[in-house]
Amino acid sequence: MSTAAIVFMAGSWTFVLGLMIFSFTRLLRDQQHFDPDGIGPAVPPKKAETEE
Amino acid sequence: MASSGAGNSNEAWGSRIGLILAMAGNAVGLGNFLRFPRQAAANGGGSFMITYFIALILLGIPLMWIEWGLGRNGGRYRKGHIPGMFAAIWKHPAAKYVGAIGLVVPLVVMIYYTYIESWTLAFAYFSVTKDYWGITTQEGMIGYLQSFQSIAPEGATLYHHPYTPYFFFIGTLFVNIWVLSKGISGGIEKLAKIGMPILFGLAIVLAVVVMMLPSQAGIGTTAWDGLEFIYRPDYSRLGEPGVWLASAGQIFFTLSVGMCTLSAYASYLSKKDDITLNGLATAATNETAEVVLGGTIAIPAAVVFFGVSGAMAVAQSGSFNLGFATMPVVFQHIPFGNLLGLAWFGLLFFAGITSSVAMLTPITAFFREEFGFRRETVAWSLGALCLVFGLMHVHWLQHGVLDEWDYWAGTFGLVVVAVLEVIVFMWIFTPAKAWESLHQGADLRIPKIFKFIMTWVTPLYLLFVLGWWGWVDALPILMHEKSAGGGPLNPADTPYITFSRAVIVFFAIVAVVLIKMAWVRNKYDDRKGFEEVDLSGEAA
Repeated sequence: MSTAAIVFMAGSWTFVLGLMIFSFTRLLRDQQHFDPDGIGPAVPPKKAETEE
Repeated sequence: MASSGAGNSNEAWGSRIGLILAMAGNAVGLGNFLRFPRQAAANGGGSFMITYFIALILLGIPLMWIEWGLGRNGGRYRKGHIPGMFAAIWKHPAAKYVGAIGLVVPLVVMIYYTYIESWTLAFAYFSVTKDYWGITTQEGMIGYLQSFQSIAPEGATLYHHPYTPYFFFIGTLFVNIWVLSKGISGGIEKLAKIGMPILFGLAIVLAVVVMMLPSQAGIGTTAWDGLEFIYRPDYSRLGEPGVWLASAGQIFFTLSVGMCTLSAYASYLSKKDDITLNGLATAATNETAEVVLGGTIAIPAAVVFFGVSGAMAVAQSGSFNLGFATMPVVFQHIPFGNLLGLAWFGLLFFAGITSSVAMLTPITAFFREEFGFRRETVAWSLGALCLVFGLMHVHWLQHGVLDEWDYWAGTFGLVVVAVLEVIVFMWIFTPAKAWESLHQGADLRIPKIFKFIMTWVTPLYLLFVLGWWGWVDALPILMHEKSAGGGPLNPADTPYITFSRAVIVFFAIVAVVLIKMAWVRNKYDDRKGFEEVDLSGEAA
């Protein structure tokens, strides 16, 4: 492969993989705003509260 | 103000990952693996990638957020369909009728897309049983594909019974409708949770196998030459409007924006749910499937066995020839080729079905929310409708009716819908309200520059694409000066094409009548809007 093709391929892959890693890292870290049934709390209860 | 009649359509996503997989499954389709590498190779390689990523940032991701925002806002009033979503924002009697296109486009695309999807199921079966083994040229495999489609020229070898495509089409449609009848959480989300990991797994296996293929005697090229073929920059192409339009079109098709399915899925979220990060994750998943995996399978494999010039000829002859003629020849030269063939067509089938099940969601939502019909009743009734008009495509494929529908609904129609969506959400709703709505419950703050992009750049970019396509393609196709498939029009096909257009117009008229009936039935007041409901179906 030519250097220019490698640069474009590496750049393209880095961009899309970086976007995916960024978004899924944030998703796994911030599990705050998902309330599919619309009637639960905005923030999931903490483990200790659930156990009580 | 009357309530929305939403009580019979309480549905919700079961989990966040299920939602993202379903959204990504909706976006990842046949185009990721067949259309993208062909477009990249044919439009300047690395130069195409520059315009592709510009289109992703200025069109794709903004439209993704707009569709999620439009959908979730509609969900506040239990409106999972575009007529209701538009009417919820634009309090004008015309809004609901303008939104009729949002019922017609996904229905029309679903009908012919399911037929194409059935080819992948059939070829998965033909691969396992080695039905095409022994046909070792691309020309031979094109003849095999035409035999399956019952469009082989007179005197050509016939490999299949005439009823074979009907059998696979009906089977594929049945699976689609069955999944749809199980609902959002019980059907679509489950399919995505099973189908998407399988899809990614098969794609990774195939990409690794292709990249390890040895150079063939007498050819001398490797899979890396295939990547060179896709990514080699031809800077002279950057000045061509055609390259910019091709990349904008690819972004459109790949992300499923304008199909009204993303908004339908998002309508099942509450106003407390995040949509900014979910939308970005959906786009990123689709782009990874397309750029990293889609570009690493079909074209590199074709280059190994047919050289760069051979692969270029295949790429120019059409996406389907690359997938259904070239790849089967490649598999016959590889150990366990029949299983790899199963993996390839299985991958395409899962890519297809996770998209097609989404396409009937808007119209299903319309009937359930506005007329109170049961989910199963709506799903199987729509299935019967899809069967009748799908058979038209199976029977008249050689007359260009599929290309005609693909152009007016699956190409031009998507851009029209997207233009309307961005005007309603960003201009009529106002940028300030749209921005605030997007950030309700957001786990990700969108950079402020996107407010300007979504308000001005995205709509103007879309209008440019629409205007260009309208002038260059839509007008000549409408006037029968050229065929929707790209080639010259065969005059003998004109009656079939006219009939297929009449069917789309008929669908549009029926949609308008049904919308009128729904508004009268539920006593909606266009000027006041709808009453807000929570997702338990009770008035808020």
